[in-house]
Amino acid sequence: MPEIVAGQKAFSLLEVCRSLEKTITNRYGSEFWVKAEINKLNHYPHSGHAYPELVEKKNGVVQAEMRSVIWGTNFNSINDRFKQLLGEPIKDGIEVLLLASLDYNAKYGLSLHISDIDVSYTLGELQKEKQESINRLKKEGLFEANRKKRLALLPKRIALISVETSKGYADFLKVIDQNEFGYRFFHMLFPALLQGDRAVASIGNQLKRIAKVKHHFDAVCIIRGGGGDVGLSTFNNYELAKAVASFPLPVFSGIGHSTNETVTEMVSFRYAITPTELGDFFIQRFHNFSVPIQDALKLLKNKPKQILIEENHRFLQNIKSLRYELKAKMRHSKTSLNTTLSEFQHLSKSRLRKDANGILNLAEQLSRGSKSILNTASKSAQEQMEDLSKAYQRFQDSAKLDLQNKERFIKISDPINTLKLGYSITKLNGRLIKNSEDLKLGDQIENTFASGTAISEVKFKKNGK
Amino acid sequence: MANKLKYEEAFSELQEIVNDIENGEIDVDDLSQKVKRAAELIKICRNKLSSTEEDVNSILKELED
Repeated sequence: MPEIVAGQKAFSLLEVCRSLEKTITNRYGSEFWVKAEINKLNHYPHSGHAYPELVEKKNGVVQAEMRSVIWGTNFNSINDRFKQLLGEPIKDGIEVLLLASLDYNAKYGLSLHISDIDVSYTLGELQKEKQESINRLKKEGLFEANRKKRLALLPKRIALISVETSKGYADFLKVIDQNEFGYRFFHMLFPALLQGDRAVASIGNQLKRIAKVKHHFDAVCIIRGGGGDVGLSTFNNYELAKAVASFPLPVFSGIGHSTNETVTEMVSFRYAITPTELGDFFIQRFHNFSVPIQDALKLLKNKPKQILIEENHRFLQNIKSLRYELKAKMRHSKTSLNTTLSEFQHLSKSRLRKDANGILNLAEQLSRGSKSILNTASKSAQEQMEDLSKAYQRFQDSAKLDLQNKERFIKISDPINTLKLGYSITKLNGRLIKNSEDLKLGDQIENTFASGTAISEVKFKKNGK
Repeated sequence: MANKLKYEEAFSELQEIVNDIENGEIDVDDLSQKVKRAAELIKICRNKLSSTEEDVNSILKELED
């Protein structure tokens, strides 16, 4: 219910929305067919739902735009039919004929609830226009023209087509002007409208101006800041794409979007998804120039010194080896001289030794000879003496023995010696009795002993045999 | 334009000298002369990296003509 606020009758926002919702539901109760282009599909594979951004364009310019929703189950069956009939899934930039009901939510606003899409009606106007642009440019031999331009080694003079207050312009300048490497760029802004139905003419006009002063520049950059994918249709325009493709300098585009590649980008010398990325390209280009120079500087600081050192080293090495060779040669000569000398010495020594040996041998032989003669002589004299002495001794000994034997015999022959042994001498009438037969009974016999005598009478007698 | 050619030429001449020195294809007698030349070339190239010689006003003037 409306209330009085500051003296005015006022509705709350929710009241307005609810009223709107009621009106729409009453007015658009049933489904109807709508012809539109899916500018961006916005399909979320996880949930399966899609939230297509629907547009209608006239001459490449967006006339109407509305959000929509296709629930997962519907989306899958529609998508399957797309793949079947067109050989590709539902995607951005296609013209569709869709069956939908209008849906209004107080919080999320107005959207079309799509239940079906007529697949047979589908080659989007956008896609058609795009394809037509491409085909025409290719036919005219312009499609590759800008891409084949030669870019200066250092593209440092840049003509910028952009909007001075846009984020993309600021992003780009930040990269190239605030680089930490000391690279300096010259850039000049040629302001243009980059969105809407006047963009094609605006950009084309600035390209013409730049062409007039092209000798001051190395490259052109078309930089669009922000904005959704909707505004991108401008860049599929044939006139704009042609102006870029046939431009005398390399044209770069950094028009900032996430999906569709526009014809202008296709024919650009190079394009980047974002202005920052485009700025990085230029910095990289400077690196490609700067790094070899840094390397050259490093090389020039060290290498020539090194070359000279090596040269000097080689020179010294040569001297060294020369000296070494000389020394070796001298040493060799000396050695061979010494060898000859020692050979000579050796030879003469051995010769001398040989002669001396001969003499010594002779002397020795002589000495040995005379010695042996003397020895033999002296030996035989001595032996004769010895023999003589031995013979004399033998003679003496035998004479002595003979004498002793005779003496002993003489001694034994003395009767006293026998008597001393106990024997006695028997005599009769002074006659020696050696036999008992010489006696008769009663004879008086004298017995002589070793000491003394006795007279005995024979009383009994026995004769011997 | 003449200046631009100059630095690109300087760059390629420098690359040649660097290659020669790296590959040891330079006579020791020529070395000091080459090094001197390379130093000049480096100066030209480095200047190019860090300087701008264009002037917005003169371009604007040309645009008006």
